[in-house]
Amino acid sequence: MMNFDVTPVEVVTREFVAVILAGFGNELLPLTGEHGDEPCPKALLPISNKPMLDYPLSWVEQSGIKDVLLICPSSHRSAISHYIHSQSSSASFSSVHIDLQTFDESQELSAGTCSVLRHFANRIKEDFILIPCDFIPPPSLPLSKLLNKFRTDTMSDGSIVTSCWYEHKSDKQATQDEWGWGSPAKPTPIVWDHLSGTLLYVDSPYETDKNRHELELRMTLLSRYPQAKLSSMLLDSHVYVCKRAVLDLLARKTRFDSLRDDFFPWLCKLQYQSTKQEKYATSIRIGIIIHRADDGFAIRVNNLPAYLEANRHFVADTSIGDFTRVEEKSTIKNSTIGKHCVIGKMVKIVGCVLLDHCVISDGAKLDGCILGNSTTVGMKAELVKCVTQAGYEVKDNESVRHEKLDISDWAAQPEDSEGDDEDSIGEEESDEDED
Amino acid sequence: MSPNTTSSTGKDKLIADEEKVLQAVILADSFNKRFKPLTTHKPRCLLPICNAPLLDWTFESLALAGVQEIFVICRSHAELVKTAIKNSKWSKPGAGLKIVPIVTAKETFTPGDAMRDIYTHGIITSDFVLVTGDLVSNIHIGDVVREHKERRKTDKDAIMTMVVKQSGVNHRTRSKGDSAVFVIDPETSKCLHYEAVTGYPPKKYASIPREILNEHPEVEIRNDLIDCSIDICSVEVPSLFQDNFDYGDVRRDFVHGVLTSDLLMKSIYCYIAKEGYAARVRDTRSYDSISKDILARWTFPLVPDDNHPGGHSYEHLRGNKYIAKDNSVILSRTCKIGNNTLIGSKSQIADNAQVTASVLGQRCIVGAGSIVRNSYLFDGAVIGPNCVVEHSIIGSGVHIKERTHVERGCLIADGVVVGPQAKLAPFSRLSKRRQDSDEEDDEFEDAEEQFEEEEDGDDESEDGDDEDEVDSELEDVEANQDPEALAKLGSDTNAIIWPLPVVDEDEAIDDLEHPDNQRLMRIGDNASDLVLSDPGSVTSSESESESDDDDDDEHFYDSNPASSTTSLPLSTPSNLVAQADSAVISEFQQEVKQSLDRAFAEGHSVDNAAVELKTLRMASNVSLRLVREAVIAAMVSRIKIIAGGGIPQRQEIASMIARWGGLIDKIGGVDPVETVEILQEYSASSDRLPLFGQILAALYQDDIVDEDDIRAWHGKSKSQGQGVKPASLQDCYNKCWVTGAHMIKQFDEQDSDEESEEDSDEGSETSEPAVKIPVTKELPSAGENSSEEGSCEESSDEEDEGDTDEDDSE
Repeated sequence: MMNFDVTPVEVVTREFVAVILAGFGNELLPLTGEHGDEPCPKALLPISNKPMLDYPLSWVEQSGIKDVLLICPSSHRSAISHYIHSQSSSASFSSVHIDLQTFDESQELSAGTCSVLRHFANRIKEDFILIPCDFIPPPSLPLSKLLNKFRTDTMSDGSIVTSCWYEHKSDKQATQDEWGWGSPAKPTPIVWDHLSGTLLYVDSPYETDKNRHELELRMTLLSRYPQAKLSSMLLDSHVYVCKRAVLDLLARKTRFDSLRDDFFPWLCKLQYQSTKQEKYATSIRIGIIIHRADDGFAIRVNNLPAYLEANRHFVADTSIGDFTRVEEKSTIKNSTIGKHCVIGKMVKIVGCVLLDHCVISDGAKLDGCILGNSTTVGMKAELVKCVTQAGYEVKDNESVRHEKLDISDWAAQPEDSEGDDEDSIGEEESDEDED
Repeated sequence: MSPNTTSSTGKDKLIADEEKVLQAVILADSFNKRFKPLTTHKPRCLLPICNAPLLDWTFESLALAGVQEIFVICRSHAELVKTAIKNSKWSKPGAGLKIVPIVTAKETFTPGDAMRDIYTHGIITSDFVLVTGDLVSNIHIGDVVREHKERRKTDKDAIMTMVVKQSGVNHRTRSKGDSAVFVIDPETSKCLHYEAVTGYPPKKYASIPREILNEHPEVEIRNDLIDCSIDICSVEVPSLFQDNFDYGDVRRDFVHGVLTSDLLMKSIYCYIAKEGYAARVRDTRSYDSISKDILARWTFPLVPDDNHPGGHSYEHLRGNKYIAKDNSVILSRTCKIGNNTLIGSKSQIADNAQVTASVLGQRCIVGAGSIVRNSYLFDGAVIGPNCVVEHSIIGSGVHIKERTHVERGCLIADGVVVGPQAKLAPFSRLSKRRQDSDEEDDEFEDAEEQFEEEEDGDDESEDGDDEDEVDSELEDVEANQDPEALAKLGSDTNAIIWPLPVVDEDEAIDDLEHPDNQRLMRIGDNASDLVLSDPGSVTSSESESESDDDDDDEHFYDSNPASSTTSLPLSTPSNLVAQADSAVISEFQQEVKQSLDRAFAEGHSVDNAAVELKTLRMASNVSLRLVREAVIAAMVSRIKIIAGGGIPQRQEIASMIARWGGLIDKIGGVDPVETVEILQEYSASSDRLPLFGQILAALYQDDIVDEDDIRAWHGKSKSQGQGVKPASLQDCYNKCWVTGAHMIKQFDEQDSDEESEEDSDEGSETSEPAVKIPVTKELPSAGENSSEEGSCEESSDEEDEGDTDEDDSE
């Protein structure tokens, strides 16, 4: 697979490798559901008509990092590698060498981030930056800011990780409660020291189980950092700049599954519990960079409300992709329309995200919907706050509200009275052939 | 207060507010006895600090803050306080202060009681300043009061503003034994959570309620604040105390109660003073640090050479030396006065004497060649020639005769005579024998005695006793004097030694006043043997099991069996403290051994031997466990091994335990579980291993250990020999453990068939009490079992295989 690798062997040792994790995106179902036999990888879902993966990749590129280890499920391999080598992206990321690796897992039983990282530990020979494919970094926060903090901290006092947390203020107008698609990501309470920029404590499900009413902070922590701050407004960007040694620690803690819920909360404790330090023979520090909402919009697109919000954020009013046709007397407000869509007459689209190849028939009304690839909407159908799986077909005159419409269980939902014996397989395949 | 407020009603109201007199309430009683015996005849607020009574410093601080009316709540020695107020310069006409003493009932045991008393008196008419009678401060409380009033306009429920001072975690004036974690909203400085922190045993977790995050998503957790005990309170505060009669302490109960209550809906704010100085003399350690702060001029403009609350005038010399200005001080040409020293008028320093970092009262005399370091001499104290006084507080009129050595941490009450050639153990507390206090020293105790006689009921003591009880306390102390220790105080002494603080098992004592915690508040005590950092992080280095993550708490308890005592975890070689102190410890072990040798050889009484051990322990500042180890080792090693065992052996053991067993519980703390552990430890490594069961049985018979203790010991993993090195010892541990298992089995059987056994065995028993009959019959057999097991190891190994397998895997 790597036969296209033409980069000359580097003489200079690399300082960092960026490790981008692309998962299934179960929180984004049904958008990430399969379209026929073809997967719809989360990493390639468009945000304002650019694949999600573009954002972290260009972030990495801007910081001058040359090497990316992109890890995705094996079933997504062809789609993602196609994307990487398609003209558009290879042109824009010419300076980055992307090493695409896959791991075997299924959508139902996804492997924890810890085990994924452990599996690829031998491919990571240097310090690395862990980046999720769904982080939309704000322009005011270049990756180099994190790297610089990491560099100074490691030089001065043996910091081994620099993390990044961001504050997210959701728009007042889009109160997410009514969506019924699950709530947006909840902030995790964390404790950090403002003066030294040190992350001290991350609340984890384990801690919540132990004591639901109180946060238990070790006094050693508070003696070492007597002016700690505690906040429940910050979200984990899941961007971690790590020393290679982190992988060794990870290798020793075999039972950890999730980096965010298990490993990093544990690592925080390692900072001030000398027992653990003796055992693991390190004394460490975890740096933190906090990005405030006022300094620019940052979001992790890991659920449907966030997806909608991210799309809205980048579009002043409406953006319409290439080769899309809009017929007369249609109104489109506040929406993002993908490429190759066909929008009929008298269609009303407000606050929606339409992916590529959607077909909206005459007289349909869409309000606050996200339509997956190649969704077809019948004549005069009305959808309010719905999400559809790729290839879904909405019947003529159908009216649906607050639903996640996916293909596999249409029959299981009797309330969808108009659900016919439509077969979804006859859908067109979505190909990126526009150039 | 904005002057351009135009709304007429509002303005009137403001002016009315403004015109109100600012009131202050001083809690002049300390409600504890950390300064005993210095405070037996004097309340703490009248102890001098830098030669002026604490109460005067407090008045001075309040006057600086613009307070006009002060209520002084006094309880113990109320008459003395009243006289002091009458004589204070602030009571003179034109001083601008109105000071009203209020004597509360002697049943007032806590600050909370005092607050309820204030409520019933109905003296408070507006917002007031609540301080304690031991405050030294130069903070502009006026600003805080203004801020508080401003806040009250928008938030009616803001009932209190606490003044806290920003410092470092380990600031010398920040009490390690009694501090707190404040959770504060950084924008409004509203206090959201208050968590009291006790120094020892070290608090491990601060628990912050998650629900505060709902309303205040971002908060600060401050562990670096000195609580100055200056509170701006609204009128409701006394009534809240009245409503909640169980509130005792202002912080631990009231603040905590208000903040956690779902019903009160009141809020408390913090004022974080960034400038200025404020601190409380809460204990002898803070007495020391605040004295130093005053000498180092942190309290400016309240410094000895200016605004001295006692009205003395001092000359400030380079190096923060202060010498009384009236030319009455006689300094010999060859004496050395070090930095940070204050010398009161009419004091004399003789040839070659050295005085460093100390405060000398008026009329003090330091004899030729004496050294006074980091010590505080009250008025009229006399140090003879060639003495050494370190880190101690010496009461007024004390006479320390020649060649006496006063070690660090001593508190010597008024009028005591020590010496000549005495050597005081560290942290000794001496006061004068009562009978002579009636005869002599009339000059300075005149006033007091007069009052004592008049007011016999309510002027004594800070701990809630009345005169009679104090007398009985003194009597107790006097009755329990150890002649040997007294003899060391020199031939001319009139002193009695106060006993070391001992944990009384029966008495419910809160963590704050626990002797180990109090050690953190003692002058001169560096408490280096106390493990103060988070225990989980220091002691549990061993276990390599994979599941260590959050269970290190348990490790701590395993490796520190002496939870009720000052524990020095010797089991962990990595412990730096242990290494540093190992020299001290080995010396101590030597001494204890000699002491016990003498006791056994000369047949001392158990009590005398115990006193000697206690003194030794305090002198070298080691943990109780070491003493226990020494005692048990001494006892067990003296049990003769009688060939053939059987009844003679049993008798031998019984007689030894009966004679000396009591000593185990008299060394300063009772911890039977530890006793069994140590017995096991000693037996395992000596040739008396086969006797383990019999000795344990004998201890059980003499009630030194009981059934539950044996079970508790048996339940510990270490008892089975886990983690014991070398491996050969592990076997021996295991044998002991199996013996214990037998014993417990028998206990269990006993419970079921106690009745029937009793009948059948009665004949064979002699004079034992009936209850113990089954035990005496069976336990020796347990001992024999163990001796048999020495020869047939296989059987014992098999028996406990099931229990140990899982844990032994490493």
